[in-house]
Amino acid sequence: MSSLSARLLISVSVLLMFFFGVTIVVLDTAFRSAAEQAQADILDGHLMAILAAAEPTDRGVLALPPDLQEPRFGNIESGLYAELRDDAGAIVWRSRSALGIEIPTGAQPQSGVRQFLNETLADGTPLLMLSLAVQWEFPDGELRPFVFKVAESLDSFNAQIAQFRRQLFGWFAAVALIMLFSISVLLRRLLRPLRQIENEIGEVEEGKRSSLSDEFPTELTGVARNMNVLIDSERARSDRYRVTLDNLAHSLKTPLAAMRALLNQSQTGGFADRFNEQINRMDEIVRYQLRKPAASRAGDLTLTLISVEKEVERLVEGLKKVYHDKDPSIATVIDEEMLFRGDAGDFLEIAGNLLDNACKWCDRRVRMTIKSSSGHASDGGMVLVVSDDGPGIPEAAADVLLQRGTRLDESTPGHGIGLAVVKEIAESYGGKLEIGQSDLGGAELRATIPVS
Amino acid sequence: MRLLVIEDDAILRESLAAKLAESGFAVEQAVDGKEGLYYALEYPIDLAIVDLGLPEMSGLDIIREAREQGKTYPILILTARDRWEDKVDGLDAGADDYVVKPFHVEEVTARVNALLRRSGGWASSVMTAGPVSLDMSRQELKVNEAAIELTSFEYKIIEYLMVRAGQVISKTELTERLYDQDFERDSNVIEVFIGRLRKKIDPDNTINPIETLRGRGYRFALERGQSG
Repeated sequence: MSSLSARLLISVSVLLMFFFGVTIVVLDTAFRSAAEQAQADILDGHLMAILAAAEPTDRGVLALPPDLQEPRFGNIESGLYAELRDDAGAIVWRSRSALGIEIPTGAQPQSGVRQFLNETLADGTPLLMLSLAVQWEFPDGELRPFVFKVAESLDSFNAQIAQFRRQLFGWFAAVALIMLFSISVLLRRLLRPLRQIENEIGEVEEGKRSSLSDEFPTELTGVARNMNVLIDSERARSDRYRVTLDNLAHSLKTPLAAMRALLNQSQTGGFADRFNEQINRMDEIVRYQLRKPAASRAGDLTLTLISVEKEVERLVEGLKKVYHDKDPSIATVIDEEMLFRGDAGDFLEIAGNLLDNACKWCDRRVRMTIKSSSGHASDGGMVLVVSDDGPGIPEAAADVLLQRGTRLDESTPGHGIGLAVVKEIAESYGGKLEIGQSDLGGAELRATIPVS
Repeated sequence: MRLLVIEDDAILRESLAAKLAESGFAVEQAVDGKEGLYYALEYPIDLAIVDLGLPEMSGLDIIREAREQGKTYPILILTARDRWEDKVDGLDAGADDYVVKPFHVEEVTARVNALLRRSGGWASSVMTAGPVSLDMSRQELKVNEAAIELTSFEYKIIEYLMVRAGQVISKTELTERLYDQDFERDSNVIEVFIGRLRKKIDPDNTINPIETLRGRGYRFALERGQSG
């Protein structure tokens, strides 16, 4: 459960279920007891009506008129039954509705006490039965005991309860759903700034934006501000590092150049050669160390998205100036809207060294293709292939060439560390550099940068 | 040809200037960015060598400013920063080539020659026009494959005229671009040198390589390329 909103929604759902469950039980119990009370009152009313309608006869028994006030007593199987028994249990009178039905006798009630009983008919129909034992005083002054019984089928009562429950569950389910929906909408609204901050950090990592915006609610402004401070300081650190390296390069190499110039003026022969050799070694070390990749890890907050096409264009323009006399034809095939995710300097270092190398060795033609390695030009994964129609690089020499500072041909200046630098930068992005044979006849150098 | 060297390191600047002077160039030296920009904008120069890491004003800014002011002479960058980012920035700003420190002085001279040649529209390292050919790197002039003995000033004149073959070059321009210091030299001296050059290159008056345009100056008149 990694998402805050999922956690909240699940917790709220559990709480809602608990509260609604308790509420449903309470409401159901209350409704049921109220309904039962009402049912009992109705039965009592019927009983009283029958009691009032009963008339003593001359034969010393009680008689009831054929048509009672309540018409359901007159309809067969209406669900409302009444009977009158004497103290021996013999039936004195039965309502017409009770025709063919055996109303359970139940326990003998005490005189003058209303006794409610839940009984069942032979066919399984539940009944609520009210019995009342009375001592009827006849005109002759004799008291005779009778038991009045009124029973009503609970079918419709139960149906009513079930209906009530259905409605109760229905409404509560609807209310719960509406509440959960409202809460999730509310959560989305409340958590939007969090999602925004998350998205913006992602965009910073992808190089699509340089800092977090300042449109956050008060609770998050501190976080955003600190994040921006972190990004800025990271960027400043990286800039400082670059400037330091530049200054270091400048302050080391200018004296080296001066030494070389002095040597040139004053010395010749073996000493000058040996001295020059030492200057070369120092120069190689400085160059290699100072050209190390600027961006060394994915997810670096200082990475940016670089338009490959634009940078290559600049590079080719520059190289055309440098190789003006040789005038190689440089063809570039670049996937549309290709982006490099990283440090612009690193990309230029890869493309520049490979192209420069090809221009140096080619006869006439150089071709650079940059294709997306994933099919999505914008995710930074790319395969960069530079081919030329020069002499090519023998397989055995390829490995040696990729080692730092190894030169195959000492006569071409500056050829030493370029490819080793490309290899190191590609590897720092998790990629690689391979040397092969080009269809143009010369070397093919293939740098692969995976999606970071 | 008059070159401008903007480099703050004294030893390097002076060695470079000495080597370039040895190769027949008049050299102006600037020790920082501000001075460099002044020379770059105000002096008649044929090529500038600019160090990128300069005090007062960066080399890149000098190049941009010079290009913005319409200066078209070739610019060679000296840089200690050999990341491609820096090279491309320099070339983008308007430089034509770069040399990475620590360089061999000969490398700079070779690049300078190539750039000058290129600026005159010459493609190959040996400029050939009719029977006349000039190899800048060897400072050698040949007519019909025979080397011609020239004094250093004579060489400077023919080099300047040949690089700009077809263009009219005034006497003032020649004095400005060829003398190391003093622009006020008598322009008759130029006439004398031109006369000597004509005699050496064309003793029989058959090819007439240098034309005089009255009141305007001189022009190297032979068609570029090998003739017959």
